Amino acid sequence: MSAEPRLALLLALADDELVMGHRLSEWTGWVPYVEEDLAMSSIAQDEIGHARALYEIASAIDGRDPDALALGRDAGDYTHAVVCERPNRDYAYTAARHYLYDTADDVRLDALKGSTFKELAEVVRVLRIEEGYHLEHARAWFERLATGPVDARQRFGDALSDALPEAMALFEPLPGEDAMTSDGTMPASNEEQLTRWLGIIGADLERVGLERVLETGSEEDIGEVLPTSSGASEVSGERKPLRVPGLERRDGRWVHAGSFSGAGGRTGHHSEDFDVLWREMTDLYRAHPGARW
Amino acid sequence: MSTTTIELAVRDAIARVKDPEIPVVTIGDLGVIEHVIVSGDAIEITLLPTFVGCPALDVIRADVERAAREAAPDTTITVRFTLSIPWTTDRITDAGREALRSFGIAPPGEPRLLQIAVPCPNCGSRDTVLESAFGPTACRTIRYCNACRNPFEGFKPKGER
Repeated sequence: MSAEPRLALLLALADDELVMGHRLSEWTGWVPYVEEDLAMSSIAQDEIGHARALYEIASAIDGRDPDALALGRDAGDYTHAVVCERPNRDYAYTAARHYLYDTADDVRLDALKGSTFKELAEVVRVLRIEEGYHLEHARAWFERLATGPVDARQRFGDALSDALPEAMALFEPLPGEDAMTSDGTMPASNEEQLTRWLGIIGADLERVGLERVLETGSEEDIGEVLPTSSGASEVSGERKPLRVPGLERRDGRWVHAGSFSGAGGRTGHHSEDFDVLWREMTDLYRAHPGARW
Repeated sequence: MSTTTIELAVRDAIARVKDPEIPVVTIGDLGVIEHVIVSGDAIEITLLPTFVGCPALDVIRADVERAAREAAPDTTITVRFTLSIPWTTDRITDAGREALRSFGIAPPGEPRLLQIAVPCPNCGSRDTVLESAFGPTACRTIRYCNACRNPFEGFKPKGER
C-alpha cells in the first residue's frame, strides 16, 4: 500500500500525544499540591516521549527528522483532535479530558497492538505499559470527583459534558483509513473503536449516576449521589431529551449516530486555541533553526 | 584483539556506566543493554529505554558511546535505543536492586501491581502505602512508611499487561 495513510495514522497519534503533553505540562508548578503537580508533569513527559517515539517511525516514511515533525510544521499540518488543544481551564476540565482522552487512548492502543505495521505494533506494546499508569490516574480522579461532594460532582459533570463531543472526534476517520483496515494496519476502524469506547465510558457514567453527561450536556443540575439500600445510586431530577450531538442510546447502549461535532482535527482544521498553543510550542524551534538541546 | 575480546571489553565497560539520575546504579544492573554486536571495526550497541520519555536517554547514549570508545579506541561505534522489546523491571539484577535500596529507593515489586506494599528502604517495614504513582522521575513512585513515618521513593514496577 502507499505509505501516506500510515504516515497520517502515525502523525495523528503523535500529534495527539504531543499536544496533550504540552497542555498537561502547563500545570507544572501550578497544581495545588505537590503529588499531583508531579503526576501532571510526569504524565506530560511520558506523552511527549511517546510522541517522539511515534515521530521517529513517521520520520522513516516522511524523511524529515522527528524534531522537524514535532515542531517544524505549520499549524494547519497538525492532525491532533481539537479536544487536545483546548486550554486546561480548571482542574475539573483537566480531569474530565484526562479521563476521556486516556480511556480513548487505551481503546486505540489495544486495537493497534495487533497491527500488521510491525514498527507501530512494537512501539504500541511498550506505550501500553506506560499508558496503564495514566489510565489508573485518570480513573482515580473520575471516581473521586464523580462520587465526591456536590460541588466537585457538579463541576466534573459539567466539564465532562463540555469535553465529550470533541473527545468523540478522537475517533474521526483518518484519510486513507479504508486501506489501513483492509491490510490490517488498523485491526479495528475508528468507528469500531468509538463504539467500544462509548461502551466503556457509558458504563462508567451510568455506574456513578452521571448519564446526564451523555444525555443533556451541562445545563442540568447533576445532583448528589444518594446511597440506597440496594447499593445503586439515585439521582434527583427529571430526565431531559438527548442533546449531545452525534450520540444516541439504542438497545441499552450508547452509540455514535451521525456526524462528529468536534471534528476537523484529523484534516488540520483547528480552533483559535491551537494558534496560541502552536506559537508558544514552536517558538524556540522557529527562532533558532537547527539548534540542538 | 579478536572480535570476542573486543565485544567482552565493550560489554564490561558500558555495563559500568552509571544511570545519570540514580548514580549508584549501573545500566548493566538496570538491564538496559540488549545487544553488543562487533563486526570488523564497527560496533553496534542497542539499548532499551526504561521509560520512553526519560530525558536521561541522551546522556546515557553519550556516556555509553564514550565508555565503548575508551574500551575499543579504533572502532566505529553506533549506540541506539530500540522499543522493539519492552524493558520491564524484571530485568534489574539483584545487585541493582540492592544498589537502589542503599540509595533510598525501594526496589520494584510485582510488575504492574503499583498498590502492593514494598518494604521501606529506611526501616524495612512492610507497613507502607503508595502515595502517588508519579515521582520526581518517570521511573519512580512516592510511597510512605507508616512504621518509621518517612516518605520514600520506590522504583515504578513495570511489566506488560
